[in-house]
Amino acid sequence: MSFFSLLVLLVFNFSFELGGAALHEIGPGVLWSAFVFACLLGLNRSFADERENHSLDALLMAPGDRGAIYLGKMAANLIFLLAVELICLPFFALFFNLSPGFFILPLLGVLVLGSACLSAAGTLFAALSSTMRLRELLLPLLLLPIILPALISCVKATGLVLDNQFGPALYPHLKMLAVYAIVFVTLSLMLFEYAIEE
Amino acid sequence: MKKNILVDKIMPPLVCISMLMALAAALLYAPTEKVMGDTQRIFYFHVPAAISAFICFFLVFIGSIQYLRTRYAHWDRLARCAAELGVLFGLIVLVTGPLWAKPIWGVYWRWEPRLTSMLIAFSIYVAYLMLRTQGASGGQTPRIASVLGIVAFINVPLVHYSVDLWAADQQLHPQRNVDLQPEMLYALYVCFAAFFLLLALLLRRRIELAKIEEAVEKMRQRLATGMDY
Amino acid sequence: MPDDGLVIENTSKLFASFAALQSVHLCIERGQFVLLAGANGAGKSTLLRLMAGISRPSSGRVLIDGKDPQRDATARSAIGFLSHHTLLYDDLSAEENLGFFARIYALKNPQQKIDEALKQVGLSSHRHRRLRTFSRGMRQRLALARATLHQPVILLLDEPFTGLDQPARTALSEQLCELKQAGHTCIMVTHNLEEGAPLANRLVVLRKGCLCHDQAWEGSAADLSATCAPFWDGLR
Repeated sequence: MSFFSLLVLLVFNFSFELGGAALHEIGPGVLWSAFVFACLLGLNRSFADERENHSLDALLMAPGDRGAIYLGKMAANLIFLLAVELICLPFFALFFNLSPGFFILPLLGVLVLGSACLSAAGTLFAALSSTMRLRELLLPLLLLPIILPALISCVKATGLVLDNQFGPALYPHLKMLAVYAIVFVTLSLMLFEYAIEE
Repeated sequence: MKKNILVDKIMPPLVCISMLMALAAALLYAPTEKVMGDTQRIFYFHVPAAISAFICFFLVFIGSIQYLRTRYAHWDRLARCAAELGVLFGLIVLVTGPLWAKPIWGVYWRWEPRLTSMLIAFSIYVAYLMLRTQGASGGQTPRIASVLGIVAFINVPLVHYSVDLWAADQQLHPQRNVDLQPEMLYALYVCFAAFFLLLALLLRRRIELAKIEEAVEKMRQRLATGMDY
Repeated sequence: MPDDGLVIENTSKLFASFAALQSVHLCIERGQFVLLAGANGAGKSTLLRLMAGISRPSSGRVLIDGKDPQRDATARSAIGFLSHHTLLYDDLSAEENLGFFARIYALKNPQQKIDEALKQVGLSSHRHRRLRTFSRGMRQRLALARATLHQPVILLLDEPFTGLDQPARTALSEQLCELKQAGHTCIMVTHNLEEGAPLANRLVVLRKGCLCHDQAWEGSAADLSATCAPFWDGLR
């Protein structure tokens, strides 16, 4: 997944004539596009083990709440996505000539919030699509429009952080990401049982 | 199919008449807007289409919740048919929008909040319809589509809020609190009534068609397997 | 209707417009060993999946000790299910697989229980090998260990003898006999009438999704074959 993200960064580098001002404008978008594509790859694999071994049946028979399966999968997806992002970040800084600055911590904050949003919605849709015929095609088709609100705020927030604007302009976007994550985790916990049942 | 007098005999001519009245109201009765001129008249179809689309999305939401609660097929049928009509009315909005935009803003499309939100909501429901037709997961499609139908509607206000945040400086679209003259308001109400009647009739007809499709499919299965059920 | 045991109350299961089960009504008391027979496609596996709480009935309900396994965790922990598939993870070892399920069922003294389970199915010496390297028979034995690890009161077995060699079949038969004598409820789907007949004390036959025979049973494999023969027509 990390290598895939790096390849995406490369592709974008050649797709756009980059330099100076253009870098600042599209850099965050390029970064998050790479993360979203990596996330989709990861999500496709998310329920693969359960599908291949039919072990979802065993999880369904487990005595705990079925939402626990969702939380476990979401946590796993979140950790993998964060790992991919942390590996890609230095390369992104390198390719796009970013000098290390005080934005590291706030940037990590945006990454964590954004990744939480992607994992929250993505895990639900991965569960939904795992039983479908054209799952590799349908998962991105279903998920991408749904995560657009989070993606918009991620890109905007990342841009503001890289521009060292940590003030009032940033908070609405962080709030949006937090709301999105909370809404989707709550919704997924309520709907997950219906997503995986037979 | 049971014949319903209201739907079969009364509604179709009523919808025709109301649409003609709406055309008359929008094109003749309503005064010309002083800034945008006659182009503004598309507003009388654009706005009711938008509201109708969102009513359809709401019906998908309700149908999806009720299907998961009760597992009655008619709720799933309602959700499916409402989604189709929602996409149709959404398409009307996305076509009339640019047609209105070109003379006023000089371009067919601008990434401003209202249009962008509508485009995103539209693509979510197109994805819903793709799931319905391509999903084919052996009878699990209604359940999966219901989950999507609930998530899609909950996502709509999130889309609006995030797009508003993103393009707060690009607010070109006329806002809700625009002052309208009384004649314009009446024309708009007539158009709303016409569109809502059209929506009701189309939805009813589409649901009837869906029932016929299901009956045909069931008969085909019985013939194919030779089973008697 | 008894409050304990397994009750299938006028249950149907539809997949799209195909009725896999139609208004099946069945009450199974504690301690019974039920042989579930029928032609291929009769709905036996579907019925087992409904009992296990994996599948939701389209109409009617399934109750285990008066509780719905779809909603109630204690009802689910009363069930062990040995399915067509092993329900285990290929990339984990035998011990890791059982350890995972021990954690899911929150078992006390998990290591001890895992050791006992592996010993009972004769896989102690293979505990660190990845499941991927196991033969069909070894997988089936580990699956049985998984199904019985949490000592379920009700055991659902879907073709448990498939893929087993003769020694393994004998061992499984002995194990099932012990479970029966210990008072566990077992519902077994099998085409292997030689193994099924000595164990069962009740015979239930499904045909095209409908229940067509449900009586106490005692006899040989030949008797069983003769009893089931009339219902063997109409393969789906």
